[in-house]
Amino acid sequence: MIELNKVTYSYDGECALKSIDLFIKKGEAVALIGPIGCGKTTLLKLLNGIILPERGAYKFNGEEISRKKLQDVKFSKLFHQKIGFVFQSPDTQLFCPSVREEIAFGPRQMGLPEPEVEKRVGDCLALLGIESLAGKAPYHLSGGEKKKTAIASVIALNPDVLILDEPMSGLDPKTQVWLSEFLRGFINAGKTLISATHNLALVPRISRRAVLIDGRHAVAADMPSDKLAEEPGLLLGANLISEADLPFLGKEFR
Amino acid sequence: MTDVMPDWLKAEENYTPQSDKDAFIDKSIMSLIKIIGGARTANTRERGVNTELKTACTFILLVLISASGSTAFILAAGAYLLCVLSLMRAQEILSILRGSFTASLFALILLLPALNVSFTTAVKVFLSVTAAGILARSAKWHSVTAALHRFFIPDMFIFILDTALRHIFILSEYASGLFYALRLRSVGRNKGKYSSLSGVAGTVFLKSGEMADEMRSAMECRGFTGEYRVYGKPRFGAADAIYAAANLTLILSFIYLERV
Repeated sequence: MIELNKVTYSYDGECALKSIDLFIKKGEAVALIGPIGCGKTTLLKLLNGIILPERGAYKFNGEEISRKKLQDVKFSKLFHQKIGFVFQSPDTQLFCPSVREEIAFGPRQMGLPEPEVEKRVGDCLALLGIESLAGKAPYHLSGGEKKKTAIASVIALNPDVLILDEPMSGLDPKTQVWLSEFLRGFINAGKTLISATHNLALVPRISRRAVLIDGRHAVAADMPSDKLAEEPGLLLGANLISEADLPFLGKEFR
Repeated sequence: MTDVMPDWLKAEENYTPQSDKDAFIDKSIMSLIKIIGGARTANTRERGVNTELKTACTFILLVLISASGSTAFILAAGAYLLCVLSLMRAQEILSILRGSFTASLFALILLLPALNVSFTTAVKVFLSVTAAGILARSAKWHSVTAALHRFFIPDMFIFILDTALRHIFILSEYASGLFYALRLRSVGRNKGKYSSLSGVAGTVFLKSGEMADEMRSAMECRGFTGEYRVYGKPRFGAADAIYAAANLTLILSFIYLERV
């Protein structure tokens, strides 16, 4: 489904991704982990077609994603419908006057009949537990409520792939547990989930496969999520944990 | 949780998008990226002459150009600015001259009915915009605002200017994030393009108000009393001496040529 071959990207000559090889099958749940500044967000932007590889190739469903391809309006719209992206900060994702409008934005653009749009909006509000917020302005919500609204607005498009950047940032512990349960349900529904995080406790809860990106901006390891705790050397080497964290590593993953 | 997932979410979406004209999103993103890029560069460059000296000389030059009635002085100022321009990078020269030509052309068109003054005014506008462009392109914004403090400009003015410059960068980044989100969710025909655009503008406006409030509170918490202080001694090297001498020559030539 998603295939990256030797993908490299840099910002003004500063390397952000170095020769990344990654293959993600349909229905997989993958966590991208790594220290701050290792290139996780850049990789997610690339997967969403916001930026394009400087070198190497990115293929989605067998088609190479290039500037020329994305200039084809129909292809670009279909591509963005297939891949949903929830930004790290929900503030930069909400631009409609009410939560209801925010969720209906995508389905209406897809040209769905109004009863179907209403059904999707209602389902998303119920699924995310934000029915009471439907008429409120997204800007005045709390961080957790904004995050739920942002997820609902993307889910309403029914994407095949859901990409989340630091899904738990800014959420209280109760909402974190709720969100990880929700994402598990999403995976069990046969969808592909890709999330970037540096929260190790979260990895086995929302993914089956962990891809470790290290400070060299390259893939350092690609392994089952539940085996991550057995590789403290890798995590230390990637500068994701310190020696002081080692005694707590097993507990962290439980 | 899977049980509560609606059927439409479990199924694969069978969707064929319709074509739509939404190039305005990409154009807006590109404009914001230019602003962000420009602001980033502006905060890394600091070359050659001391910014305080540069700011003072530029200000004097602007006054002299607008006050001058002597063609010889205007030519001398033009020659001086061309010399300074020639020391800059090609990309910067192009960018400065683009602004200068646009401004002078605009002035020329506006004053075209008054033929006797239109050409001179257009040249003066060209030189003034070039001088301001050279200062803006060769000094950090923060250094320019700090230099203003040494010239006894009121603290409140400097504070507002400094904050505005900083927020141009932050809000441009924020707005570009919103435009990316709009682009990613624009998966079909958008019947309310203007309402999406006004939604983005409104959100940025609200965010700017919130950020301004938060920053004022944060500054008060860190002991800001409204007084803007500049630390560090101003340096004066060989390049500064040459620059000062060139500007002094210009000032003297203004006094001499205006009398002739």
